[in-house]
Amino acid sequence: MTEQEILSATDVSKTFQVKAGDVTAVDSVSFTAGRGQVTTIVGPSGSGKTTLLYIVGSLEKPETGAIEVAGSNILDPATDLVRYRRKHVGFVFQFFNLIPTLTALENVMLPMDLAGVSPEEQNRRASELLDGMGVSGRLLKARPNKMSGGENQRVAIARALANDPDIILADEPTGNLDTATGRTVIDILSRLAHESDKCVLMVTHDESVLDVSDRAFRMVDGHLNEIRA
Amino acid sequence: MRIFHRGFRSFRRNYTRNIIVVVLLFVCLTFSMSMLAVKLAADNQMQTIKGTVGNYAEIKLSSAYQMKQFEAERQRTAAERAAEARSMTTAQEQANRVSDLVPATLADEFSKDNHIQTYDEVLETNVTVPGLTNTNMQQLFQLRQGNGEGQGGGGGGRGLGTGGMTQNSFYFAGNTNGASASDFTTGAKKLISGKQFTYEDYKNANPVVVIEKNLASQNSLKVGDTVEAQVSGASGVASTIDLKIIGIYETVQTQQQSQSSSSSVSSFNPAGNEFFAPLSVVQKLNSTPAYVSLGSYYFDSVDNTAALKATFKKDASGTGDKYELATDLSDYQAIADPLLKARNTSVIGLAGALGACAVIILLAMVIIVSNRTRELGILKAIGSTDRQVIGQFAVEILCVCLVAIILAMGATALIGQSLGNWLLPKSTSTSSQQAASQSAPGGFGGAASRFLNQDNLYKNGGRFSFNSASQKQQAAKLNVVYRGSLFLYGILILVGISLVGMAIPVFWIIRLRPARVLSME
Ligand SMILES: Nc1ncnc2c1ncn2[C@@H]1O[C@H](COP(=O)(O)OP(=O)(O)OP(=O)(O)O)[C@@H](O)[C@H]1O
Ligand SMILES: [Mg+2]
Repeated sequence: MTEQEILSATDVSKTFQVKAGDVTAVDSVSFTAGRGQVTTIVGPSGSGKTTLLYIVGSLEKPETGAIEVAGSNILDPATDLVRYRRKHVGFVFQFFNLIPTLTALENVMLPMDLAGVSPEEQNRRASELLDGMGVSGRLLKARPNKMSGGENQRVAIARALANDPDIILADEPTGNLDTATGRTVIDILSRLAHESDKCVLMVTHDESVLDVSDRAFRMVDGHLNEIRA
Repeated sequence: MRIFHRGFRSFRRNYTRNIIVVVLLFVCLTFSMSMLAVKLAADNQMQTIKGTVGNYAEIKLSSAYQMKQFEAERQRTAAERAAEARSMTTAQEQANRVSDLVPATLADEFSKDNHIQTYDEVLETNVTVPGLTNTNMQQLFQLRQGNGEGQGGGGGGRGLGTGGMTQNSFYFAGNTNGASASDFTTGAKKLISGKQFTYEDYKNANPVVVIEKNLASQNSLKVGDTVEAQVSGASGVASTIDLKIIGIYETVQTQQQSQSSSSSVSSFNPAGNEFFAPLSVVQKLNSTPAYVSLGSYYFDSVDNTAALKATFKKDASGTGDKYELATDLSDYQAIADPLLKARNTSVIGLAGALGACAVIILLAMVIIVSNRTRELGILKAIGSTDRQVIGQFAVEILCVCLVAIILAMGATALIGQSLGNWLLPKSTSTSSQQAASQSAPGGFGGAASRFLNQDNLYKNGGRFSFNSASQKQQAAKLNVVYRGSLFLYGILILVGISLVGMAIPVFWIIRLRPARVLSME
């Protein structure tokens, strides 16, 4: 792993037991991703992209393999996963997953609140982040259901950045947006990688994002292959 | 602090759902709290009642024994009685005299029971005071002469009997301390001049007496004067005792019986003709030194009635059923029963309502949590510990329950009393008992049955009086007042249902895998 490569997965496998039999969603996957880069995984539906992303985000546990982030294996039982989720990763989902009863600002403040940041600092940073995403004014006080899909996703990206993580994990971030809005979201993510030196790991079945990717992988039936270095 | 903030915010923002739960809980909690208030009020009132009723006991001649004596007496003709009286030896006479009394040793022995708190002995008898005329006796004798020797010659009970009575016979009540004679403690009689005889007077057998106002004025007697009383069955030098009048009383309240019947035993001793003297002096006058009419006791609580009955049974073993231990248990029951019923109903209601509260909060939490699993998943994914999520939910539930219970306490203040009134069985016992005693037929049969009734306790304002109606009236109303303990129980209930409510979210949060819910559409 080079200096740039903050994330490295080695020989990761995950099998689900379902009624019809076992489904190996992720099959001996190895890859790396670095800071300042957009790393994209494309693949058809059901190929295991989301599962792999959740494994990296510590929301799923693989049976085998290692996930090293900034030099330590998060699959080590001694790892404090709550701390890992707060400090190292930020999620962006297809369905935004904002908390419906909170305003845009409160949604962005929430991860900082959970991490123990002072209310003033939360407010300052959340406003700043949202401003950077082009969300400001009355939208700060708007609930998710009063905002457009694009606005929702921008609030979600701001929330992912709240605790200034190294890695942004984006699962079909444009899946629920029209093409133009999806484009701006992709632009935001690539800016985060290139200007803010984040490691952006994005999974999608939308091959058009490959243009803005620094590295790209294709996933088929749980197997991962790099398609461009 | 942050958890409180987040929980409270969540409570406010999810108001529609939470308000529904609050309203449901409010209804059940109001019911619970009201039932609890009724229970506490009933408990409290029972405790008060226990302090005054049901804790009185008396050792006296048993009603069964008196009935038997009365029947035997009725079989005999006047001629037989007269013949027996003539042929009686001194020893027989003495035995006859004490046959209707209780040995003081029995009364003393019983007083040693740990439950006994106060102890008095009473001897009530007729004493001849040659210098004074009993106006009622006079009337009676006149009546008799007119009617012939009617109706069996009057009372066998408690050592009374017209056998040796004259127009100079007066009713003497002796106990160990004048001030604690029941007529004075109940306020039926009141000392208006002089003083009461004391325990010392009783100990030293000081020949002192307290007499009635009208009797005193009719005979120009005042405090400091002396009257001469005759010792029963004695003759010669020692046959009289000079009694010094140390106090004069007035009768405040006419006893129930004086208005109710014409020839009952009680009307032999109306207000004006009753003397109060130290027990030891009355015993001397009656020539029955070691005997009393009754032993009178206050004990700690009606709850120990059975224990006292057992003690008495032990103490009185060997005397057959001649003596009995009478208590005012039936009075207590008459007063406490409606309260007890109300209390038991309220406990059942309370249990039911609390159960309903638990079911409501559990169901509500199942619905709420299953509707908010995505939120739980998000919280976990963005770095919330299980504890933080649980804490936030706990605060939210606590807010729901707190609002519900505050409203319920307010509502309880409004409806608690009506609920209490509704739960308290309508007491018909007061009126029916009074009616029964009022309608007791005149003539000896009715009088005797009433006289032998267990309710005729020395405690109740005189020997023949049965007057606890006022206490019944007081108990017939349940005062459901707000008390501190209700508030404390409210907090306990609050904590209880909040904990029950938490069970679902805790289980759910710990089990939840965010990966399952975050990709849901
Ligand atoms: N919790 C689960 N239990 C059982 N099977 C699962 C579970 N999660 C995923 N799978 C299965 O694992 C495989 C990979 O699923 P995954 O969601 O990772 O695919 P994906 O590439 O993200 O698909 P899509 O593009 O539709 O989002 C699928 O066959 C899916 O049915
Ligand atoms: Mg997916």
